[in-house]
Amino acid sequence: MRTTDLIELLAHDVRATPPGIVNRRLLAALVAGGLVTLAIVALGLRCQPLLAAAHQPWFWMKATYTGLLALTGAVIVRRLSIPGTGVGAAPLATGVVILAMLAIGTGQILSAAPAGRLPLWLGHTWKVCSPLILLLAIPIYACLVAAIRGLAPTRPVLTGAAAGLAAGALAATLYGLHCPEQAAAFVATWYTLGIAAATALGAMTGGRLLRW
Amino acid sequence: MLRLARRERVELPVPQQDQTEERLRPLMIRSLEGDPGAHRQLLAVLGRYLRGYFARRIGSTTGEVEDLVQETLLAVHLKRESYDRSLPFTPWAYALARYKLIDHLRRRNRSYQVPLEDAGALFAAEDTEEGALRTDLDRLLQRLPDRQRSLIEDVKLKGLSVEEAAQKRGVTAVSARVMLHRSLKWLNQALRNEND
Repeated sequence: MRTTDLIELLAHDVRATPPGIVNRRLLAALVAGGLVTLAIVALGLRCQPLLAAAHQPWFWMKATYTGLLALTGAVIVRRLSIPGTGVGAAPLATGVVILAMLAIGTGQILSAAPAGRLPLWLGHTWKVCSPLILLLAIPIYACLVAAIRGLAPTRPVLTGAAAGLAAGALAATLYGLHCPEQAAAFVATWYTLGIAAATALGAMTGGRLLRW
Repeated sequence: MLRLARRERVELPVPQQDQTEERLRPLMIRSLEGDPGAHRQLLAVLGRYLRGYFARRIGSTTGEVEDLVQETLLAVHLKRESYDRSLPFTPWAYALARYKLIDHLRRRNRSYQVPLEDAGALFAAEDTEEGALRTDLDRLLQRLPDRQRSLIEDVKLKGLSVEEAAQKRGVTAVSARVMLHRSLKWLNQALRNEND
């Protein structure tokens, strides 16, 4: 088949594409995956008493931290899925958010009485927190990958990592509906580790899943 | 954008590059609005630039250039939703071409140092002369199920519209469109596997 014939064939497969379809696809993936994860949190793990928790600053501290990371992750995914644009300032913002959380957690540990430091850091659930966040990230990551495969990431490994970051952070936000831990030091460590594990999973699988 | 701008290897005087942008971006936007004529014209111009770019990068004697042109045109077609209308078009097209070139070289197990240049590297010169093909898409098409293959043949060889071809085969226009789109996706995959 000559190239001119191929072009002729492709011209028969033209459909109108609404503007903003990239955003809509990625958003739909986050919502779809998020709903699956939310169902697992609500039905499998059970939410903590949310009305009481919503009056507590620690509840919003957790949601703000992981919510910001989900946002920066999604922005990076978007930029990487559109060829010809750089990643922009979102990776820097991600780093700043994580460093700020680590600083707050460290400050909390240092200002606590020495005997109280270890319980503060480990809470009651440190063993399950990171693995649960990683598991909860998987449905969201799968939906994101499906959406990105319709786009054109020219750096698949990096895009996979960003998708893992967004998925892990959104999963951690939803996990916060269940998790009753209150310490900034706990969140800075175990939440961050869970999100980092999801990011690593994305980096490891992105190269294969997102090539086109 | 910043990264691209910082590289100093511009092969074109800037005004000429702006001209390319001004010529191609409206075509791309009309193509996204569903205009087949604009789409055809855009792919034809891109094909000529891609041929020149790939030939300069891998040598025109190897017979791989035209394969890569077709593979990239298929990618431009199938990935056009990833173009953001508020951004310039030429960097988007260049990023796709460069990705396809790197992918091609990697699959050939060559060292794949492809400098990240300005989009002008792609839009330096047009080459209208179609080169020899290694992989004949017609041969790949033979592996498609009968219904899909005959649809493509009707559209390509007999010049029927998708609607006419659908009517002839007794399927709805919508399902014929879906079939054509799936076949092109399949072709894209088959072409990549073939060149592995």
